[in-house]
Amino acid sequence: MPTKERDAGERERCVTGIDAIDHILNGGIPRGNTVLISGSVGTGKTSMCIEFLIRGALEGENSLYLSVTEPTDKLLMNVIPFDFFDDKLAKQGKLQFVDLPKIYQELGIDKEEIDFEQARLLADTIAGMVENQKIRRLVLDSVTSVCYRIKDQERIRDFLLRLGTVLSAKGCTSLLVSEIRSSEEGYSHWGVEEALADGVIVTGNLERRGDLLRTLQIVKMRGTTHSRAKYVLDLTTSGVLLVPLLKGGSVTGGG
Amino acid sequence: MSVSGEVAEKLSTLREASAVALRLKTVQYFDAIQGMLDRFAMKKNLEVVYVTTTIPAQSILSALEVLEVPMDHIWLVDCISQIMMSQAKQHPHAIIVESPTMLENIMLKVEFLLRKHPDRSALVVLDSINSLAIHNNTKILSEFLHILVNNLRARGAYTVIFSMLEYETEDIRNMLVLVSDETIELGD
Repeated sequence: MPTKERDAGERERCVTGIDAIDHILNGGIPRGNTVLISGSVGTGKTSMCIEFLIRGALEGENSLYLSVTEPTDKLLMNVIPFDFFDDKLAKQGKLQFVDLPKIYQELGIDKEEIDFEQARLLADTIAGMVENQKIRRLVLDSVTSVCYRIKDQERIRDFLLRLGTVLSAKGCTSLLVSEIRSSEEGYSHWGVEEALADGVIVTGNLERRGDLLRTLQIVKMRGTTHSRAKYVLDLTTSGVLLVPLLKGGSVTGGG
Repeated sequence: MSVSGEVAEKLSTLREASAVALRLKTVQYFDAIQGMLDRFAMKKNLEVVYVTTTIPAQSILSALEVLEVPMDHIWLVDCISQIMMSQAKQHPHAIIVESPTMLENIMLKVEFLLRKHPDRSALVVLDSINSLAIHNNTKILSEFLHILVNNLRARGAYTVIFSMLEYETEDIRNMLVLVSDETIELGD
């Protein structure tokens, strides 16, 4: 079930369908939260987000993927062939992929830098899509690319605040992909994104004695208690799998 | 009684979800595998996940072929071919873990294979604790065994951990005591 009723006082959950993450979050992401999925290249951010959408769509929740960095045709060619994916989801409109550059074009955003009004227009347009199509799960991949065009910190803050507020009010649980370099401190390029997000999930690479492990850690999630431990992640055709990171060995380097 | 018969008989007396240390001599190795896979697992209708850190999956597959053990419900997690840089042929029932030091990835592959067959009871074989101990220190190996075995126990799966008597150390014996419900030692 995508929605889990909780005891009085607890927030409704958006069950991600990724068992280990739901387990870590004691039932799923609090409904309406905006969550930053932060990590360097090749750490599984996009695969995890797509699984989140497919699992939601399979449970009847309209799900939308906004692609900024690469055309969705190319993205879908390279995505893991999940066992649980069903072609019907796209045909029924339960699972939609939209290229954000097309929206830029429709809105007349043709200059390299997005100004204050255009940023507001973009946030309102995305909010409108969510409302009109009754979207319950949204992925923006990546918020970093959008912010690169907005450039100014104040404008980025306004854009994210506006978007997050509207999505939350509509009960849409959103994942915003944040691309960071492995050497980068913090969880987002501009610093604003992590401050405004309700949750931060960090994916990374951990080097241990020459082995490179993919890791995942939930650093912050408003509205629920959760483990903050680091897990090792595998991207499989059955979806994202996690196991605890073993601590007995000598660990060098961050991740 | 033959080694394979002895292994099958002793494993058959165990209750589900048992974790067993199977202590054997090197010369008993292939007979023990046959008893476990061909006689015990077949009879119990178990899905088998065989984690090899000792010899490449290809060698086990060849041995199983010679022994005429059906492969339909046997899956191998090969943790040694990659590190040996051997030109392993891909087999639909074998998946690779880069190195026996990637213990978390071993757990993940076991989880992946068990998820593929949720309706069947399972037997997970760790071959062997001795070779895992070559590549990992005692602390991390104990932690790995503790998490893996408890996870499998919770799923109701059998776990069999091979320990070759010739290569046992005090540390290995302590680890086996820590995680196993039973110890099976084969006769001469």
